[in-house]
Amino acid sequence: MTLIKTTDDIKDMARGAVFLGTGGGGDPYVGELFLLQQLDDGRVPQIVQPDDVADDAFVVSIAGVGAPTVLVEQLVSERALLYLLERAQDFYGRKIDALISAEIGGANSMFPLALGARANLPVIDGDGMGRAFPHLEMTTFSIDGIPCTPSVMIDDLGNEVTVNVPNDRLAEDVVRGICNSLGAMTIGSFYAMTGAQMKQSTVRHTITETLEIGRCIRESRETLEDPFEGLMAYLNDPNRGRYAKIIFDGKITDVNHETRDGWHFGAVHIQSLTDPNDTMIVDIQNEYLAARRNGKTVTIVPDLISILDRETAEPLTAEMLHYGLRVKVIGYSAVPQLRTPKALTVCSPRQFGIEEDFVPVEKIA
Amino acid sequence: MSEYRLGIDVGGTNTDAVIMRGREVITATKRATAKNVGDGVVDVVTATLAQSGLKPSAINAVMIGTTQFVNAFLQRKNLSEVAVIRIGLPRGDGVPPMVSWPNDLRKILGSNIFMIEGGSYFTGKDYIPLNETAIADAAKEIKARGINAIAITAVFAPIRPDLEQRTKEIVRGYLPDADITLSSEVGGIGLIDRENAAIINTSLMAFSREVVRSLIAGVKSLNITAPLFISQNDGTLLTTGAAEAFPILTCSAGPTNSIRGAAFLTGIEDAVVVDIGGTTTDIGFLVKGFPRETTGVNYIGGVRTNFRMPDVLSIALGGGSIIRTEGDRLEIGPESVGYRIREEGILFGGNTLTTTDVAVRAKGLSDIGDASRVASLDDVFVSRVMKDIERRVEDAVDQMKTSSKAVPVILVGGGSILMSNTLAGASEVLIPENAGVANAVGAAIAQVSGRIDKLYDFGREGGRLAVLEDAKQEAIDAAVAAGADRETVEILDIVELPMMHMKTNAVQIKIRAVGNLVDVKSAALQ
Repeated sequence: MTLIKTTDDIKDMARGAVFLGTGGGGDPYVGELFLLQQLDDGRVPQIVQPDDVADDAFVVSIAGVGAPTVLVEQLVSERALLYLLERAQDFYGRKIDALISAEIGGANSMFPLALGARANLPVIDGDGMGRAFPHLEMTTFSIDGIPCTPSVMIDDLGNEVTVNVPNDRLAEDVVRGICNSLGAMTIGSFYAMTGAQMKQSTVRHTITETLEIGRCIRESRETLEDPFEGLMAYLNDPNRGRYAKIIFDGKITDVNHETRDGWHFGAVHIQSLTDPNDTMIVDIQNEYLAARRNGKTVTIVPDLISILDRETAEPLTAEMLHYGLRVKVIGYSAVPQLRTPKALTVCSPRQFGIEEDFVPVEKIA
Repeated sequence: MSEYRLGIDVGGTNTDAVIMRGREVITATKRATAKNVGDGVVDVVTATLAQSGLKPSAINAVMIGTTQFVNAFLQRKNLSEVAVIRIGLPRGDGVPPMVSWPNDLRKILGSNIFMIEGGSYFTGKDYIPLNETAIADAAKEIKARGINAIAITAVFAPIRPDLEQRTKEIVRGYLPDADITLSSEVGGIGLIDRENAAIINTSLMAFSREVVRSLIAGVKSLNITAPLFISQNDGTLLTTGAAEAFPILTCSAGPTNSIRGAAFLTGIEDAVVVDIGGTTTDIGFLVKGFPRETTGVNYIGGVRTNFRMPDVLSIALGGGSIIRTEGDRLEIGPESVGYRIREEGILFGGNTLTTTDVAVRAKGLSDIGDASRVASLDDVFVSRVMKDIERRVEDAVDQMKTSSKAVPVILVGGGSILMSNTLAGASEVLIPENAGVANAVGAAIAQVSGRIDKLYDFGREGGRLAVLEDAKQEAIDAAVAAGADRETVEILDIVELPMMHMKTNAVQIKIRAVGNLVDVKSAALQ
């Protein structure tokens, strides 16, 4: 399938990726340009459904790991990504048949698509989260026992490191350490898996979903008085089996940012436009993790929280929030794979230091 | 600092001038913008001097705000072909320069892209030596192609501007007179946006030189010896030399000047400002005396940059908007007679019905054109037009507000006569004296600023506080270098953005410092 053929498609994809990035995941801009360059060169990504891939096929995730501030300066090297594919095939001793995104929310939604177009490799319509998370162990792949390593990491300068550690929590620390030593931006191949494993573990249709969310926002702006009407109708479409609700509407009155150990901590305070006593506080740890209205939790991780411009429904990353911005906040149920007891052992609120149990958004919003 | 400041605003339709002493507006004059910008300025300044009775030598400083450069880019006129040198390989080859640019611009500016080895880590350390041979080869090729405008960008140039400076030195060896922009001079962290700004700027340098020199010659021909300054985006001033080299820094000076002028004329620091020109109405938000700025990225003529610009909503409605009726349908704008209103408007003897014609009739004004020519307009029609104009402005004001609370609305610009003094959503509607020339007032009251946008290491001795002190000092020094009186320089805002996803102590800091213009005659000599 060629879902992404035009500049509008790429922009829709990027917009949807910010929505599913729930505040984090990195700005998809650089990936957007990389993909645009592929289209300019006449190459389109081939997007395939999980079931179109053979059980014995070999699938890997290609992802950038590093600091967004560095990515926007160093950009992305096509030559290095092609070299990574070559080195990964040598390392695993197998030809790579298809690529998959580990994280559809944010910047890493784009790189597999652009590289797939460039290297003529199909890209799976799915990912390992259906959103953005900060750690390598927080993927459905990890949860289902598909380890993040063995893995090859490279930088644009030809440095190459292989990693093979026993668990993904450790992999997270080791990978960050390597990345730090290589100028805070690396690319790597992770979660090597068979087609059969991929089919079992992938969060399906998330490229389609990302694209459709972005497109729905753009088209609703053009055709409806309130673009949120179109977006909410899409998210709540009964055929999709998910739940979404506008959990707040107001003006940002304060944003605190703080960085500890390279992670972004903070809180956004939002006040209702009609009742100054009606407020929402959204906790941030890279992503938006918990939304509390007048002290009561109304959406909490792993369910998604997205903050959007009130007029245009443009999704906003945490870095874009500032005093005075008028926003709507959407609570959106996570994919079922992230809500299982096993999944909650890696992505429940407590894993982020929030002393609360996960309760689905449809029960509390 | 003494006395008389001459503020001039060169808009698409009108050129306005004011003479101010301290906080007082001495005279205000409005003329149609001439094809040759310098001629229009001579015309308006001659008139305003005559009106004030001042001698040209009494003027101590001339401040000009103009939308000429940004308009040239928007209309794709007067642009030079540009060669783009990027220092970054082996990084960045997946995203070459100008990838997302509109095709018409790519055609005009040409496809002259040179990607060369070199660049810095965020730590400031080179990751590969600068390939000076390749730079020399590129310069020769650029010369062979007959191009004389070059934009130079290097990876992490805000931390290592020397990489771009060295590249420029080598290029100069082959192209001694070329127009060159270094990305570190026009933007902060974010290579693509900074590179885009450098390319836009380079494409405008030849034109800006022509316009600025025509302005200098115009002012000089009137025997004004005071130094000339050009308004920039944040409402502060550039020397003429800086304006020639950095036309992009003037691209949103128009709305900024009108918003700052509105604040000054009313003494109100928080309000919505509605600037009604000949063709468009700009609605901006005044926060503590400065325009509210956009948060994210900005597009100039379809090209993304990371310039901070005033958050302005423009609607196609102005004093020259053409009114058409077809059966029951009423259409106001988007077309406008613009500066031809004095020939084509009915009040002035023409045959095109404009919003000004209707407003004069509705309000029974007698000081604009010949009111008898609009006396026969139908009452019902007139009130329908006026209501429609009012509703469109109300809707736009509502979109710009941050809450439903009623706020003061300040009406400025030549077209402010279109409005009455009530507006839904406004706590009060103010039309200050000299509202028609708020732009020129904004230019005349401008201060001088300095900005920095760099990565700093909080891990060094003294930590965050020591770093912030140094960074503030750099911003203050930049303001002083631009002509500010050190005694008056204040830090306007500080933004700290820590590097995410990495355990480093690197923090991106943006600081803006603003001060009063130092004794202007001596500043100009520097």
